[in-house]
Amino acid sequence: MASVLLDRVFKTYPGGFTAVKGVSFAVPDGGFCVLVGPSGCGKSTLLRMIAGLETISDGAISIGDRVVNKVEPMDRDIAMVFQNYALYPHMSVYDNMAYGLRNLKTPEPEIRARVSEAAKILELDDDMLKRKPRQLSGGQRQRVAMGRAIVRKPAVFLFDEPLSNLDAKLRVQMRIEIRKLQRRLKTTSIYVTHDQLEAMTLADMLVVMNAGRVEQVGAPLELYERPASVFVAGFLGSPPMNFLDGIVEKPGRVRLTGGGELAYDAAHFGPPLGAEVKAGVRPERVTFSNDGSGLPFALELVEELGLGQLVHGRVAGGDFTVALPASHNAPSGEAQHLAIPADAVHLFDTKTGARL
Amino acid sequence: MEKRATFSNKFLPYLLVAPQLAITLIFFYWPASQAVKESFFIQDAFGTTSSFVGLENYRTLFADPYYFHSMGVTAVFAIAVTAASLSIALLLAVQADRGIRGKMAYQTLLVWPYAVAPAVAGVIWIFLFQPSLGYFAHLVRALGVDWNPLLDGNQAMTLVVIAAMWKQISYNFLFFLAGLQAIPKSLIEAAAIDGARPTRRFWTIVFPLLSPTTFFLVVVNIVYVFFDTLGLIDAVTGGGPAKATETLVYKVFQDGKLGGDLGGSNAQSVILMIIVIVLTSIQFRYVERKVTY
Ligand SMILES: Nc1ncnc2c1ncn2[C@@H]1O[C@H](COP(=O)(O)OP(=O)(O)O)[C@@H](O)[C@H]1O
Ligand SMILES: [Mg+2]
Repeated sequence: MASVLLDRVFKTYPGGFTAVKGVSFAVPDGGFCVLVGPSGCGKSTLLRMIAGLETISDGAISIGDRVVNKVEPMDRDIAMVFQNYALYPHMSVYDNMAYGLRNLKTPEPEIRARVSEAAKILELDDDMLKRKPRQLSGGQRQRVAMGRAIVRKPAVFLFDEPLSNLDAKLRVQMRIEIRKLQRRLKTTSIYVTHDQLEAMTLADMLVVMNAGRVEQVGAPLELYERPASVFVAGFLGSPPMNFLDGIVEKPGRVRLTGGGELAYDAAHFGPPLGAEVKAGVRPERVTFSNDGSGLPFALELVEELGLGQLVHGRVAGGDFTVALPASHNAPSGEAQHLAIPADAVHLFDTKTGARL
Repeated sequence: MEKRATFSNKFLPYLLVAPQLAITLIFFYWPASQAVKESFFIQDAFGTTSSFVGLENYRTLFADPYYFHSMGVTAVFAIAVTAASLSIALLLAVQADRGIRGKMAYQTLLVWPYAVAPAVAGVIWIFLFQPSLGYFAHLVRALGVDWNPLLDGNQAMTLVVIAAMWKQISYNFLFFLAGLQAIPKSLIEAAAIDGARPTRRFWTIVFPLLSPTTFFLVVVNIVYVFFDTLGLIDAVTGGGPAKATETLVYKVFQDGKLGGDLGGSNAQSVILMIIVIVLTSIQFRYVERKVTY
């Protein structure tokens, strides 16, 4: 058990490319932290620095109350699950799980006890323990990789996109199992993914990264409801948030560049008058008005999801999506009007992208 | 599932393999069968008549103490060259692999001198150790060793081992390097996190994963040492001194070409052929069964 602390961490690769630019955050003991961001934003680099597989160019990483910048991976008391699982192909599943304990010169009877305990938790039977990794399915290999991590009882688990090689159905199933497992073991975990849904569902604490920097840290719902930047607002949520460009005309009202007006909650946003803003609206916060009032919406396509409908169209010269629950009927006819509640509107500075 | 090509014409496949079959028949089976046949005959001193003697040539051969001596020489030679060239090549490949993984492109270029130089060096060794003119010969003598491979059998053996080994290192190096680069980096990283120090990582992860390459190279190197070192031994020691470096192949050459004992020489060839067949079939069996993981 240990907390993990990152203090202004930088990574510059030998080629001169800076992949991580001053990242700071703290994962409390027993917390489940998810690093999420688009591909190439430096998530794996950061995780590998915590693991000790990459050097730290500047800043400090602490595990527990110890700065680990110069500590070997094996002495950091961590375990890592790799995207390709990295199982030792020439060893049986049992030997794969026992490898770390054998390196620590743990007595064989204890190794046997720990491996069979882990195998039971992960529902790996005796027959599977005897097999080689290549004789297992993707989902089973994934379990073995997890098993190898938990037998060592490390202070911190690190996961690098552990589910991205599985098919969609198995991914959902394993996601739930990982969460249950972490609740049960209460081991501090840092989990990397580019999938915002996986991130939202797993995390106690979400760290959204973009181009080597942290955009926002917080609980998933907090980030969803109060995104600190256009990037976070657009990255979390599916379908993504709609954005409309405009200028603040008077308190509580934005004049849209493409025509029309939008009301916002002046108690929550205080932009200077005349400021250029991006107004963000989540698709599920919008409905269609019956009385012909509101912003004109030119309907283009309706997608039926079963769980609801996605209505795609154009508003004020830009694309706009409305998500309707299954109980609503999709509107018929091209010309529609939107009902957008004022408290559903987020305002961001057009130039900096920051929440106003 | 494997996909198989199918032919609509029954004779086409035979036609297609015909050239390959012809070459194998003319250059391998025909001489081989001649050797087997000749091994049952004795030629007279002038090579004009030959008479059938049955197993007489083999009987003579197995009564010849020099033949067993030659087997021993071959075994020592083969083991020394294979062990030395494989370990040195593996050591170099591990170093090169580390360099390449660390710093990419320009170190890839460094592989080439590694790979090419030993082949050239094989010839240079011969000059370097030449007793009267060679630089190393002077050096070794300055260290107090009475260096004269022309008279000392062990020194002659050392010299041919070194010369033969250097030619193999580059070949082995390339195979080992390719084998090392095929091992996913994440396996090594997982082992590092799992608490294995570099030496232990090498012996528990890297070396077992290289075993198919190693086994292949062991067989290739033994075959090389058995059959491909004739010219080298002829140039460096001529099988001497006092047959100290006379390997089985060199003895075939010596007895057949220089000694004129064609029957005996052919009998030796047949035995060598049997050795190759055994080695190769072990390789096939073993590669299929144990070495794969
Ligand atoms: N060994 C390396 N040398 C140089 N650049 C690298 C190296 N590894 C990753 N990068 C670069 O660093 C950036 C971040 O990579 P990574 O951390 O793998 O991203 P992510 O995991 O978020 O997709 C990428 O632009 C990538 O090209
Ligand atoms: Mg990654």
